[in-house]
Amino acid sequence: MNNWFQEVWDQESMHKELIVQPERCTGCRTCELICSFVHVQEFDTTRSRISVFNFEKAGFSVPVVCQQCSVAACMEVCPVEAITRSDRTGAMVVNHDKCLRCKMCTIACPFGATIYDPIKDIIAKCDLGNGDPMCVKVCPSGALTYQEPTQANISKRKAYAARFKAVYEEVG
Amino acid sequence: MKILIDDLEVEVTHGETILTSARKAGIHIPTLCYHEAFEGQGRCRLCLVEVDCRGVKQVVTSCTYPVTEEITVRTSTPGIEKMRKNIVMLLYKQASASTILHDMYLEYGCSENSLSDNPEEKCMVCNLCVLACEEMGSSAISLIMRGTEKRAATPYDEASEVCLGCGACAAICPTQAIEVIERDGYRIIWNKKFTLLKCQHCGRSFATEEQLAYIDSKGKYADPDSLICLNCRRKMTAEKIGIFT
Repeated sequence: MNNWFQEVWDQESMHKELIVQPERCTGCRTCELICSFVHVQEFDTTRSRISVFNFEKAGFSVPVVCQQCSVAACMEVCPVEAITRSDRTGAMVVNHDKCLRCKMCTIACPFGATIYDPIKDIIAKCDLGNGDPMCVKVCPSGALTYQEPTQANISKRKAYAARFKAVYEEVG
Repeated sequence: MKILIDDLEVEVTHGETILTSARKAGIHIPTLCYHEAFEGQGRCRLCLVEVDCRGVKQVVTSCTYPVTEEITVRTSTPGIEKMRKNIVMLLYKQASASTILHDMYLEYGCSENSLSDNPEEKCMVCNLCVLACEEMGSSAISLIMRGTEKRAATPYDEASEVCLGCGACAAICPTQAIEVIERDGYRIIWNKKFTLLKCQHCGRSFATEEQLAYIDSKGKYADPDSLICLNCRRKMTAEKIGIFT
């Protein structure tokens, strides 16, 4: 398992990346609203692909979203290869016509970032807004950015990733 | 290779079926037993089209007909529509309790006839559930009996040892014929009662033991020692990230 996570975090993709900087997040949840609006045409944050957690007492907010892992658990468990990496955006995308709705990916995702939308009857996960993520556009504090993988960005991403890794070292 | 579908020129690769090439070109052909994860089965017969191959006309199921030469396809001639109407009528009589077939029965304007309804039945024997189960690596169900008694079931209708309780069969069923009961921490499907595992954090039941074993067998269950549902997993991720911020 450790090797697997190593691979997830050491990836240096050629695609633009959704970079999360939780220290900048104000917890306004605008990203959740726009995400659900773009994907399901409703302001329903329970069906949003990105989730913001507010910890009022400790005074911080963290957006959690799919990491588009290079070795993705969701893709590995899918029996029909309905989850594949998009060549254009580098995102893991679900082919809803091919998907069997066995929901194994929702259980397998280590971050809980793959959800089942019971109303649309689809597996919902971040698809990087098909190369144009609206959450980034509406984020008022710059906690979400969508950038080319330059050296500086890679180190930002790695900083975020290092926290993820610490999470799982603690859990595992 | 180019073929003509409803006067529209469509580029197809050798061996591709008429159905997939038509769908790619945005031409609608109705289907019930077709699912993209599998090859065409030609069971429901709704996807019938008329193929003109070097002047010889024939009616084929578009989901199983591979294009190997230049042909002309018509998806909706009066003859085809009449056949579809009859097929919908017969499918409806087989599975009258199904909403989708009832709607189609009305949509196609099927006329009254002497065939009797099957008022309790929802299954139209399309075999998709069997294929889905097979794809999950379980094959807990298959089509049993012959003729009018044909139906999908586990061996002897008993609880199957290999059933994962994932519910892919129920989710794929075009007529919602497969019942999944989930209550009081149990899931009952195909006469098998699963005790659902509870999330260690919120206590909500979220998966069957068999499902986790399936994910484990792919080597991908994140933390085998703890049972955490996806909502708590997400929250935990956030919490821990917060601590390290």
